[in-house]
Amino acid sequence: MKGMMRLVLALTMITVSAGLILSLVEAMTREPIAEQRRLETLRALQAVLPPADNSPDQDTVQLVTGQDKRGRDVARTFFRGRQGRTLTGVAFQVTAADGYSGNINIMVGVDPSATLVGIEILSHNETPGLGDKIDQPEFKEMFAGKNLDNADWRVKKDGGEFDQITGATISPRAVVGAVRKGLEFFRDHRSEILTDIQGEKP
Amino acid sequence: MTLGREFRKGFWRENAVFRLLLGLCPALAVTTSAENGLGMGLATTFVLVCSNIVVSSLRKVIPSKVRIPSFIVVIASFVTVVQLCMEAYFYDLYKALGIFIPLIVVNCLILGRAEAFASKNRLLPAVVDGLGMGIGFTLALFALGAVRELFGSGALLGYSIFGPGYQPLILMILPPGAFIAMGLLLAAMNLIDNRRR
Repeated sequence: MKGMMRLVLALTMITVSAGLILSLVEAMTREPIAEQRRLETLRALQAVLPPADNSPDQDTVQLVTGQDKRGRDVARTFFRGRQGRTLTGVAFQVTAADGYSGNINIMVGVDPSATLVGIEILSHNETPGLGDKIDQPEFKEMFAGKNLDNADWRVKKDGGEFDQITGATISPRAVVGAVRKGLEFFRDHRSEILTDIQGEKP
Repeated sequence: MTLGREFRKGFWRENAVFRLLLGLCPALAVTTSAENGLGMGLATTFVLVCSNIVVSSLRKVIPSKVRIPSFIVVIASFVTVVQLCMEAYFYDLYKALGIFIPLIVVNCLILGRAEAFASKNRLLPAVVDGLGMGIGFTLALFALGAVRELFGSGALLGYSIFGPGYQPLILMILPPGAFIAMGLLLAAMNLIDNRRR
């Protein structure tokens, strides 16, 4: 019994000190990590929005885009960039669930006429060296200037006009499809996204 | 055994990946490029040295019956510390290695060194052992990553080697390529060893 107590005591001591150390480190790194994540969103917003002089991550509208499996609303945030009072562009995040592995999260930026300014890949788990080329400039730059009317939203292999990547068709196809759906949503809900844009809110 | 030998044994004679065949899960999974191999190797080395220090210092306190759970708690704590610090201060590296960092916990190399060496030796040899084995592990991952990146993408550390005309051997950066490259490197090491004899 005495031996048993010693085991319990030793293990408890170790786990308690581990817990203490971890909570210390977590407290120390919480702020920098939050800041890094905010910076990352800001970087992505800057990359896909036309020049703006407000903070697009503060000027947002949330719209319900659908329901998840349990029937809860799924909201999408629209970040609005403006120069003075004029709207210069809107950015929003879309998710491609049909990539090669896992979700591909994409930040999409459009100007007020719903033409793409640019896209940024926020996160993905595509095959390194193959599908992950969707994160390269040559691929992302293809999207600038495209909109629902002036482009055939399919990869070349499917008869469209977007270059796929050598050895990887699934990832580009997923990205192209997700961006197209995002644009359609923007077109259908344009007035709601741009509500309160005329006038108030400096 | 001298400290120098203790340090060098991990490089070749007892190399974790190619001789002990330990820690193969991360070794095969992350080595799609030389850079990833290097980052994973260094992160593992850091955790290995830290866990060896703690395990060696506590070797008289930890009852042998609960040593494995104790070691795991120590290792997992260090991995979490590494993960948090990396996310806070080296965000780009964190994004590149992201999902593989928690895998360090289950790297049997680290538990293996804690069990086989650190829990039976004093602090200094334990540190030297951790450093040596860690560097050996890093070298192995770098070599694997370099071979796979060279043939799989025609580049090394992101710089194109074979030029744009090279048709990449895509198989090499897919999972089967990891096993093939690993087998070839193992064979090459055995060949060198046999020649020496």
